[in-house]
Amino acid sequence: MNMYWHELKATRKSTIIWTLSITLLIIFFMSMYPTFSKEAESLRKMLEGFPDALLKAMNFDMDTFTSILGFYSYIFLYILLCGAIQAMILGIGILSKEVREKTADFLLTKPVTRQQILTSKLLAALTSIVSTNIGYLITVLAMASIVEPNSFDQKLLLMISITLLFIQVVFLAIGISMSVLVPKIKSVLPISLGTVFGFFIVSMFASSIGDEKFRYITPFQYFDAPYILQNQAYDLTFVVLSIVLVSVLTAASYIIYVRKDIHAV
Amino acid sequence: MNVIEIKNLTKKYGKARGISDVSLTVEEGEIFGFIGPNGAGKSTTIRTLLTLIYPTSGSATVFGKDFIKEAPEIKKEIGYLPSEVFYYDNMKVIDLLKYSASFYKKDCSNRINELAERMDLDLNKKIDDLSFGNKKKVGIVQGLLHTPKLIILDEPTSGLDPLMQQTFFELLKEENQKGATILFSSHILSEVQRLCDRVAIIKEGKIIKVEKISTLKESNYKKFRIETKSEINKQIFALDGIKDIEVDDHVIRFLFKGDLNPIMDKIAELDITNLWVEEPDLEEIFMHYYEKEDKDR
Repeated sequence: MNMYWHELKATRKSTIIWTLSITLLIIFFMSMYPTFSKEAESLRKMLEGFPDALLKAMNFDMDTFTSILGFYSYIFLYILLCGAIQAMILGIGILSKEVREKTADFLLTKPVTRQQILTSKLLAALTSIVSTNIGYLITVLAMASIVEPNSFDQKLLLMISITLLFIQVVFLAIGISMSVLVPKIKSVLPISLGTVFGFFIVSMFASSIGDEKFRYITPFQYFDAPYILQNQAYDLTFVVLSIVLVSVLTAASYIIYVRKDIHAV
Repeated sequence: MNVIEIKNLTKKYGKARGISDVSLTVEEGEIFGFIGPNGAGKSTTIRTLLTLIYPTSGSATVFGKDFIKEAPEIKKEIGYLPSEVFYYDNMKVIDLLKYSASFYKKDCSNRINELAERMDLDLNKKIDDLSFGNKKKVGIVQGLLHTPKLIILDEPTSGLDPLMQQTFFELLKEENQKGATILFSSHILSEVQRLCDRVAIIKEGKIIKVEKISTLKESNYKKFRIETKSEINKQIFALDGIKDIEVDDHVIRFLFKGDLNPIMDKIAELDITNLWVEEPDLEEIFMHYYEKEDKDR
């Protein structure tokens, strides 16, 4: 437990900053909605002039765009992007910071197993992500009822919003496995941003060409908001895929970390 | 009882460094020195023993327990001070020490204060603001605060001023008298000579010799230096037990081990102007081991 609290304290500041940024971002986006819905007709006309592929890449759907949920599913993509970056930085930093700050010797010569170390760190990272999500969900529900006076399906809003947590868990797992595999990570930020933007670009590409196969490559496509909106359900294949991916990556991280040589620096 | 028993421990890193076939035992209550130049494998051995790295082959026990399987159990009673200390920078010294203490199921706060006072360490400073020497002190307190039964030190004195080094050695001796076993690695002979009971000499990943400090100094060589009026013929001293003869005009130098009488007879035949017979210091003995190894090959 002491390691968990220590980790939590160490990530506290960044968790608060990320939560604030993401909630501010959604407040900003949502407050634009009344303008959008008022100008719906002219906006629709304007967008009709845009190339089809571009609209698809940006997740635009003409029919739903001007409803609150349609609008939300479009802006949610950028919330996901932020969330993915947060999770990735957490995941990569969690073990690599011990090597970078040269504190691995301190921790690993204490009477604990490496499994315990990794578990504490993982739980601390999960706690951090869950707190961000709680803050986000409250904000999103509040904002939606403020900007949309008419009734709308709150359950769907919640179903879409909670995928932020799912995506973050997937990226956390990717981050941790990378931090175990790469021998020495000098700087977390470039690697995190690179990986997340890489997946994001692939996702935009996948949306625009509409090829199913590409959806498997990038976690951004696993919980497609327009899909949830249309079917009122998650795409089961990708739910299973996410669970498998997270389990495999986490298990691999444990196996590798327990056997890894920690070199003097 | 043997606190540490290392058997044929081998660690290969690709081709270059590492250790091969290291075997040694450290008995309960002794201060064991581990000496060799940088890169000889001291740290590798210690880090393997602490399961920071895993051996390619071989085994070891600490307190009679398998060092890998029962690592967490063993580490309850180990205090470790790495050669380079870097701790969570944004923490205060006291917070770090409390965090360290939280891993051991005992109250260490008195011990922390006591050690900090002895080492003249300000507990309320941020670790980030400390000098290298002061960080080292944090490391020392961190390594001793839970009164471990086995203290492992990897080149502990670098960065400490001589006065602090003195205090530190006193602390270690006190711990030792209270029953702690100490494994101490160093490339500085004088500190090993001051502190240790036994010493293992390591070179290029292999243990060359394990010897008591006292035997290392005693049983060995006398250093002779003889100055004569006339030039000396090297052949006069072609005796058993003489090594490293050097003739420099009127001065002859050699190391000798064995019965002193034949040598004295030889010297009596000479017309000498000056004579020195000295105990070689550890440094010379040590160099001798290293040179001998090279010649044997």
